[in-house]
Amino acid sequence: MSMRSQVYEWANLAPVGQTSTLRRTIADVPKALTAGRELDLFIGGVGNNITKPAETTATQFIVIEDIACSPNLGGAMQIRINTTDYFQNPDVTDMVGIPGLASPYPRGANSAVALASALPVNFIAGVTGNILKSFDLYPDVYVLPGQTFQILYTPRLASPAAADTATSTAVVSAFVKYTLYDGPDALIANKLLELGVTINPNNVDWYKRSLIEQQQRSASAAAASAAAAMTNGGV
Amino acid sequence: MSMRSQVYEWDAGRNTGATAANAGNRVSVFIGGVGNNITKPAETTATEFVVIEDIAVSPTLPLGISANAVVTTDIRGLSYDPVQGTAGGRAFCQVRINTTDYFLDPDNVPNDGIPGTASPYPRSLNFQPSFNLYPDVYVLPGQVWDVLVTFYHAAGLLNTVGTSLGVAASIVATGQLQCFIKYTLYDGPDALIANKLLEMGISINPGNVDWYKRSLLASQA
Repeated sequence: MSMRSQVYEWANLAPVGQTSTLRRTIADVPKALTAGRELDLFIGGVGNNITKPAETTATQFIVIEDIACSPNLGGAMQIRINTTDYFQNPDVTDMVGIPGLASPYPRGANSAVALASALPVNFIAGVTGNILKSFDLYPDVYVLPGQTFQILYTPRLASPAAADTATSTAVVSAFVKYTLYDGPDALIANKLLELGVTINPNNVDWYKRSLIEQQQRSASAAAASAAAAMTNGGV
Repeated sequence: MSMRSQVYEWDAGRNTGATAANAGNRVSVFIGGVGNNITKPAETTATEFVVIEDIAVSPTLPLGISANAVVTTDIRGLSYDPVQGTAGGRAFCQVRINTTDYFLDPDNVPNDGIPGTASPYPRSLNFQPSFNLYPDVYVLPGQVWDVLVTFYHAAGLLNTVGTSLGVAASIVATGQLQCFIKYTLYDGPDALIANKLLEMGISINPGNVDWYKRSLLASQA
């Protein structure tokens, strides 16, 4: 199992009295979000987190294939490799990343949630239902062995909003889909990177096949030359 | 019939249905004692090879909490609970091969698996997949495999009388929490070919198994 499809889902849900949790629980409730504050999905201290920053070991290679977040609150997603943000403005200044409206999670979510209404999916001015994706993360993003990476979620609006009561807090979620190459497959991924070939499971398999064919050709060539030497020696 | 497309559908509301007590616990869809089960753990014999191609579980819709919200409202066919602020059971599904969980967090700790929000079952206009299980998961001959479902939000599911599962010790209704597995079973000679393709680093699918058979026939001719 050296190539594995993986997902990570984050939501601003944690038990009462905590802002974050390592394990999801049945008593999770929504946590407040500050407008414009970048939240690391892995160790940001809000919602479900993991034990340490996301990083690849010397024998791992990660290919991030999709990122998505809730379209409400004007949320956006950024990828940071070591200290470099992946998405930039045309003037090479920082930006918040891919908007949830362009890459929604879940696909088909509403563009906003009317928390002040009796029914949260009530349509309000400017709300669009069933948002579909406009953005496809292609080419993929590579995290090389030994690199640290962060997936950052930034809401443009706070929740609870100033106009809402403290009990009106939106639930937002974010999603990352990546493939983890480990061991020999990570070495092959590095080799493909050197060759300028896109890293995906098909190409890793192709490289393995070409290695096997090369070995078979070498073995048959060696056998043929040995046979020829024996024939010549026998003459 | 040595390559067969197979599916398994699990419904937590069938037979011994799930209750709120099952929330937060992993349940095997095959032998977990909840919902419809089979007679023994899923395993491959020495002459079988299984390729899991898709897994999906009932979706969840994140919304939010509000003092104004109506308690337990149906939203997009899911039960909305204003306490947790989500509609649906907040369910996940994990694949386990022997004792190893397939899906891990970036810190290499096994997680709950694929969220139903990313891989919903059933798919609909309201709930579309963000996740595609590629590369496939291989279950080699002689291995035991399992699919484990965890749900965290009992109040997001309806019980058999149409009220929230979290309100009372009641049983989940059918269709509220389901899991779907699509796999291909290679048996006999095709399982041997699947093993050979695995050695060669070729993806195992019916097209490649047929290609290998054709290349064997061509080399004999």
